[in-house]
Amino acid sequence: MVSGFFTSDRIPQTLDHYFIMRKYYIFISPISLFVILEIIGRSGYIDPFFFPAPSIMLKSLWGMIISGEIFPHIGISVLRAISGYIIAAILGLAIGLLVAWSRVCEVIFDPLIELIRPISTFALVPIMFVWFGIGNGSKTVIIVKACFFPIVLNTIAGIRGVDSRLIQAARSLGAKGSQIWTMVLIPSALPMIITGMRVSTAMSMLAIVGVEMLAADSGIGFLVIDAQRVFATDRMFAGIIVISLMGVGLDRVARYFQKKLLSWHSDSSFAETSA
Amino acid sequence: MIEARGASKVFNKRKRVVALENFDLHVADNEFVSIIGPSGCGKSTFLLLVAGLENLTSGKITCDSEAVKGPDPKRAIVFQEYLLFPWQTVRKNIEFGPKVNGVTAEERKKISDKYISLIGLEGFENQYPHELSGGMKQRVAIARALANRPDVLLMDEPFGALDALTREMLQAELLRVWQTTECTVLFVTHSISEAVFLSDRVVIMSNRPGRIISDIRIDLPRPRSRETIFLPEFKEYEKAMRKIIWSEVNLENS
Repeated sequence: MVSGFFTSDRIPQTLDHYFIMRKYYIFISPISLFVILEIIGRSGYIDPFFFPAPSIMLKSLWGMIISGEIFPHIGISVLRAISGYIIAAILGLAIGLLVAWSRVCEVIFDPLIELIRPISTFALVPIMFVWFGIGNGSKTVIIVKACFFPIVLNTIAGIRGVDSRLIQAARSLGAKGSQIWTMVLIPSALPMIITGMRVSTAMSMLAIVGVEMLAADSGIGFLVIDAQRVFATDRMFAGIIVISLMGVGLDRVARYFQKKLLSWHSDSSFAETSA
Repeated sequence: MIEARGASKVFNKRKRVVALENFDLHVADNEFVSIIGPSGCGKSTFLLLVAGLENLTSGKITCDSEAVKGPDPKRAIVFQEYLLFPWQTVRKNIEFGPKVNGVTAEERKKISDKYISLIGLEGFENQYPHELSGGMKQRVAIARALANRPDVLLMDEPFGALDALTREMLQAELLRVWQTTECTVLFVTHSISEAVFLSDRVVIMSNRPGRIISDIRIDLPRPRSRETIFLPEFKEYEKAMRKIIWSEVNLENS
């Protein structure tokens, strides 16, 4: 690989000169973006109705924090997302393991999974309301639908992808039946399974915000759409910023668990010490 | 102790890939036998059949007068690709066999302690396989197989993935470790000098489907050392085996 500005370690070395600690590197881009957008926003080139300066967005957000308005919304969004995620995880793992274990289950569930998966999550929202009403139940069902598939598919692929020779080695050492599952297949498939579970945390956020925008009277998604109805774009962006931060927070939590469970893995993306 | 009579293995009933046909072999207790042969001759297949990881199409294989029906820790196998369990430390890998066979945790620790020091990896007990070199990984694989105190140790080109220097070192290591155990070894290799150095007997196989074209007793003194390869007898054995293999290869080319 030809060494150049982008491929060498020169960037960190250059910045070291300016006494910036490495762990703060991740803030360089966002802060720069903030500054640029602030300058553009204040310059008047863009109508503040369409894109307020970041400082205005943050002021609006701050107002929501001070008044305490934002917290119930965050709380209910997180609650819906988590409850949907947990159900999806239990279902996804159970069905994934069943399908990987039994040919009969594979024949039963595989076609169903393939048929339901492509259906857009949000297209199901109206049907859910007809079936389950407007309460939290229907929202939870939709979150489950969104989160279920990465988990079940990764579980199946993870188990099927285990090197058959590892199983041979285990059998030769005397492992039988369920021991092969608990001591070889599941530990071996764990990286893939956990990846699926991590992807689903992001899906749960995406799904809940979308559902709340379509039909809810609480939650962050509702906050954004409600602000849109009264054309309060600063509040809209405040909500969007919260969504982004919630997503990052959730991802960090997921990475923490991933690191704990997969510290043995040679792949650095699993075992890295993430900032 | 290991007895193969008319052992045959056909893969893929439709295409009829004959990996082994009418193979006869007798291995005595505590003998070290190497099987050497060209690629595809069926030597690895034979090893898997003895291990019980593949099923015979016809013929029979017995170990201690009992027919081989499936895998068993008494017939341990070591692979070229190590196949250590990556999510477990060195110690846990070695303890795997005893664990699945119901040995208590206390006993297991004693066993793994013993084998870790036997293979010379003290200090590395809590490392994971990806942190070890190839030579170290193979030593762990050997220890893992031996932890079950097998009667038979099957080795499928175990040093094939290692560099030449590590390979020679591990050959000597293997003999040293083997002296402390009481097991029969069936060792598959491509290397003539490796076969001569390690074995009591070398069996040479023909091209697929393999038959035994030569069965040579190696009468070099034991314990063997690195200097053994300098003995004139060693060179004689190598020469004789090379000639046999060359004539087999020429047969193929003509």
